[in-house]
Amino acid sequence: MSERKQQVSRRQFLNYTLTGVGGFMGAAMLAPMVRMAVDPVLQPKKEGDFVAVTEVSKLTKEPQRFNFKIEQVDAWYTSEVTKAAWVYKKENDEIVALSPICKHLGCVVNWEGGQGHEDRFYCPCHGGLYEKNGENVPGTPPLAPLDSYKTKVKDGTLYLGEAVPNMEV
Amino acid sequence: MQWNTEDMNMYIHSKEYVDTCVIPLLPVSFNAEDDKLVSMAFQHEFLTVFTNEIEKQFKGRIFLSPSYTYSPSAEIELEMNRLNKWCEEAEAQGFNHILLFTMDPKWKKQERKLDGSLVWLPAGQVDSLQSEEAQKYVQSQIDQVTELIMAYWQE
Repeated sequence: MSERKQQVSRRQFLNYTLTGVGGFMGAAMLAPMVRMAVDPVLQPKKEGDFVAVTEVSKLTKEPQRFNFKIEQVDAWYTSEVTKAAWVYKKENDEIVALSPICKHLGCVVNWEGGQGHEDRFYCPCHGGLYEKNGENVPGTPPLAPLDSYKTKVKDGTLYLGEAVPNMEV
Repeated sequence: MQWNTEDMNMYIHSKEYVDTCVIPLLPVSFNAEDDKLVSMAFQHEFLTVFTNEIEKQFKGRIFLSPSYTYSPSAEIELEMNRLNKWCEEAEAQGFNHILLFTMDPKWKKQERKLDGSLVWLPAGQVDSLQSEEAQKYVQSQIDQVTELIMAYWQE
């Protein structure tokens, strides 16, 4: 036997094998921990469920109120919650769905509720007013425009998603 | 607004806007016949749904208090004093309108001696609040009461 073929001694061989196997074992233990640590980063951001609300053909240029149900998950229980939206079509047929929750203190606003509020949303609690596009009328209590729902149309049905701050105004 | 920390924090920062207090009145007792037990449970269920819906409509102006519970066999004079004490405290807190919701005709008879405005709802014949028919019925009642409340505000 030449010296060259003796390059790996018994001691070295054992060292290599143990390091290799030990390394695998260590990796096997660490991998799930690492996976868990970075999990929130890997999780795709949940895109908020869309709920079927009405047929697009029923929409008019005048805001109409539609109710729909969503499943709300709180820390302690899951419940079915009824939500509402004021929906109308703009002149260019673009669909607008506004949340009826007043940005002042959270009452429910009505389209043309009461006299002298034509073509506006009116909050019965403290007289807050909003234009048709959801913009708050200066001089009334609300300080922000009504939130708008994300909209999606599929096969002639209108789907609404989560309510987001109104970007139109 | 409701009796929880989140709404309470909102309330203490906007007291000047919240001028109406809603208190449901509920009889509670375990010492009763079976049909009375059912009736009391129904009152609780119905008034909870009812007042929650009203609170949702007028969240920014109405504070929904936890229910005032009383024993159906207690002496009415004593209960009235205790209830008026609640109303007094609410008034001192700045609530100009105190609405007492009940389905118990006992209170109706004492209405004039109460410090709050009594809203008496007849019990009706609803077996289950879950059916669609019942929902429509209750919703129409709620709509009428919201109009009543707005009328109170306009005074």
